[in-house]
Amino acid sequence: MHELKIAEDLKDIVLEAASKGNLKKVTRVNVTFGQMVQIVPEIFQFAFTECVRDTSAEGAEVTIEIVPVKMTCNECGTEFIVKDNMFACHKCGSADLKIINGRELFVKSIEGE
Amino acid sequence: MEIKIMKNILDRNQNRADEVRALLKDKNVVMVNIISSPGAGKTTLLERTCGELKEKLRLGVIEGDITTDRDAQRLKKYNIPIVVINTEGGCHLDSHSISKVLGSFDLDNLDMLFVENVGNLICPSQFDLGETFKLAVISTTEGDDKPAKYPMLFREARAVILNKIDLLPYTNFSFESFRRDLRKINPSVPLFSLSCTRGDGLDEWFEWIIDQSHK
Ligand SMILES: Nc1nc2c(ncn2[C@@H]2O[C@H](COP(=O)(O)OP(=O)(O)OP(=O)(O)O)[C@@H](O)[C@H]2O)c(=O)[nH]1
Ligand SMILES: [Mg+2]
Ligand SMILES: [Zn+2]
Repeated sequence: MHELKIAEDLKDIVLEAASKGNLKKVTRVNVTFGQMVQIVPEIFQFAFTECVRDTSAEGAEVTIEIVPVKMTCNECGTEFIVKDNMFACHKCGSADLKIINGRELFVKSIEGE
Repeated sequence: MEIKIMKNILDRNQNRADEVRALLKDKNVVMVNIISSPGAGKTTLLERTCGELKEKLRLGVIEGDITTDRDAQRLKKYNIPIVVINTEGGCHLDSHSISKVLGSFDLDNLDMLFVENVGNLICPSQFDLGETFKLAVISTTEGDDKPAKYPMLFREARAVILNKIDLLPYTNFSFESFRRDLRKINPSVPLFSLSCTRGDGLDEWFEWIIDQSHK
């Protein structure tokens, strides 16, 4: 249930942004999660809904964009999407890689009135 | 109306972890974040490792435990500083709780600090504690599919321990299939096959872990 702790931290960020931006009601929260982080969207929505009960974000929907794991090869510079847990360069086979995407736990914006 | 935020959700945990990492680096302390499923053998590994290393390195242990201090009790006999963090049901440690207890250690007189995280393969992997590196432990009774199911941990661990190899004859664990999956995810990670109860493989492990304190 790492979803719960992440949802709690997200709540704090959302409520702070809402009060700064004079939103009375938050209706939607837009987030990006990397595939590697293995967040289950339904569980996350459930956890977030619990966290924001009795706040200005009560009932807000979380729109979750899941981004695939993308690496760049330190040997030849090729960028590729990791499929099937295969962490080797698609071009030269090197295992010396750097992660570009896939580990995000990122909040993009909130919507409301 | 839409308000842009563009922020990492775990920024607070990350910032504190960065502080912890900087402090430990300054004090020359290596912190090892041990992650496994419940019962894979983290505490048994620590018993063995502390027993062997305590004359060679100045050790400390942080025990992440949901409600008890049983694991800490098992390590008492080694006479090293141990602090328990009860997560009160939480499934992982975070950098704030680590940062709080660091003050209980004499960091100037410490070489290596082992952190036994709460038994769980997924949650602890997400929360940076400020450790020098993560150590993944799995045991032969959990099935050989763990790397494929939890790639992030096996990708980011500096070493992987396969424990309870004494039980291999009694399980359907395929070492070949385990190794193949692990190598796809992390081709170069050191793998130690151990039996922490019977003692298999421990010498090689001790040598490697002692070496980490000299880096
Ligand atoms: N057969 C066998 N049993 C082992 C081995 N290592 C540990 N065990 C046993 O496995 C059980 C769990 O070991 P622990 O060391 O408590 O495991 P843990 O990962 O610390 O467990 P939690 O802290 O509860 O997550 C104990 O009964 C150990 O004696 C091993 O190499 N072989
Ligand atoms: Mg234990
Ligand atoms: Zn390449």
